[in-house]
Amino acid sequence: MRWLIIGCGNDGRGDDAAGVLAVRRLRELGVEAREHSGEALALIDAWSCAERVILIDAVVTGAEPGTISEWDAATAPVVRDAFRTSSHSFGVAEAVELARALDRLPPSLTIYGIEARSFGAGEVASVQVASAAEALADRIAKEIGECTNRD
Amino acid sequence: MSTRTIKVDYLARVEGEGALEVKLRGDRVQDVKLKIFEPPRLFEGFLKGRDFREAPDITARICGICPIAYQMSAAHALERVVGVKVDPAVRMLRRLFYCGEWIESHALHIYMLHAPDFLGYQDAIEMARDHKAAVEQALRLKKIGNALVALLGGREIHPISACVGGFYRVPTKKELQAIEGEMKWALDASIQTARFVAEFDFPDFEQEYEFVSLSHSNEYPLNEGRLVSNKGLDIDVAEYEEYFAEQHVKYSNALQSQIRKRGAYLVGPLARFNLNFEKLPDAARRTAAYCQLKPPVLNPFRSIVVRAIELVFACEEALRIIREYEPPAAPRVEVRPRAGTGAAITEAPRGSLYHRYQIDADGKIISARIVPPTSQNQKRIEEDLWHFVPQIATKPVEEVTLRCEQAIRNYDPCISCATHFLKLNVVRE
Repeated sequence: MRWLIIGCGNDGRGDDAAGVLAVRRLRELGVEAREHSGEALALIDAWSCAERVILIDAVVTGAEPGTISEWDAATAPVVRDAFRTSSHSFGVAEAVELARALDRLPPSLTIYGIEARSFGAGEVASVQVASAAEALADRIAKEIGECTNRD
Repeated sequence: MSTRTIKVDYLARVEGEGALEVKLRGDRVQDVKLKIFEPPRLFEGFLKGRDFREAPDITARICGICPIAYQMSAAHALERVVGVKVDPAVRMLRRLFYCGEWIESHALHIYMLHAPDFLGYQDAIEMARDHKAAVEQALRLKKIGNALVALLGGREIHPISACVGGFYRVPTKKELQAIEGEMKWALDASIQTARFVAEFDFPDFEQEYEFVSLSHSNEYPLNEGRLVSNKGLDIDVAEYEEYFAEQHVKYSNALQSQIRKRGAYLVGPLARFNLNFEKLPDAARRTAAYCQLKPPVLNPFRSIVVRAIELVFACEEALRIIREYEPPAAPRVEVRPRAGTGAAITEAPRGSLYHRYQIDADGKIISARIVPPTSQNQKRIEEDLWHFVPQIATKPVEEVTLRCEQAIRNYDPCISCATHFLKLNVVRE
């Protein structure tokens, strides 16, 4: 099984760092994971050779900061508004839906959204978001370990 | 008189954050304001006191779409200060590097940002469902542009290899040859792109522009040349500030640039094409002829076709440089600090980018000035809307709004550079 774990975000913009922090924790745990700007076209390219993709990004759904949401993006559309935390036009949600339109989604794509609130320039992520990123990384590492052992 | 308020809170498919407000009284335009509310980015301030060799890497951070433009303008300006001339092979590599940025930026804008306006789709995702092959083509073109940038610059976004004096590392002949096949594909795809967009319907709208771009004696401009216009401007780039002035307007965090005593002007593909048509290489000229495109192109909506011609040019030029490449004796010439001032303009995908630096004898930057293309086009975008909106004012609000957005996207504005989303308010009084 070709796994790919991607964390999107900007560690200079407060809670937007959520995905990046999760990737760094995964690496500490010995799990290969990639930081990514979240630019849509590059994302589609990045997952083109993977069978199972896990993507972690900051989201804004109105929940408490640090709340973790999960989407099975390979089977159902993502909530585009939740991912509008990028100042660029093409982000994670656009990547998923564009890939779906082009039949370029990986067979399995799980998206974890970490609820974010503050995106100030030069700020670090809040304690709630940083803790959630770490907890999510621990959970993913454990799940992958279990899957790998099964394989 | 009846008044109407048209309000759009989010204009997608532009780079950065800003807003547009159009006030209408009846069908008459009362006011147009392109508001860039992105906080000032202060790059010119924090360049002060830094070593001059850091400028290409610092300024590249201004933009994720056109970092090469920043690196090139910075490197050329500072090479003028310290009096070095780069190896001819390095000069060609810089052209190739720039072609990579043009390919990725133009392919993105043509297909993903602008084409949906002409084809009646909300966005590229909706367009992809009906025009799968076209969008796949866009993705592959952009990938080739990115690959070229990564090869020469070390990585795709905010490349790290360009420096004052040349590059930290130059590619081997074999490395460049490895992408020749993809670049041949890209040239064919770019020609198809131009033919595809040339079939779009364009609003009947022409303006009397002052077009401004670099002009080189025998090349379509990228890195070098004099700054010229169709209204008699012909200056060395060092004279730029004598002829151009930036003005602060209360409603925008980006300065608006004007030609002194003449006002708004246009930089970018339309200006370059109109002023340098005869310098385009064969495939680009043939494609322009096929698309029935000849200078002067005065309809800003046709800029999408002109941008596609420039995409052909960038692929054609990249292919030529790849085939002729012989690595330089050294990747860079040594640069030693020397007190002085130097300026440069290079052609970013969306228009001329001016940099000027003053450094001291130790190489510390005393002052820096950067005028990005979107600052230069800002006033011209407003003027287009002053003239374009009356043509469509009787149409439904949604239609007016959509057409205003399309007109703004004619300029491929990079608001991130000018200071970052565009919110659009059309207010009818």
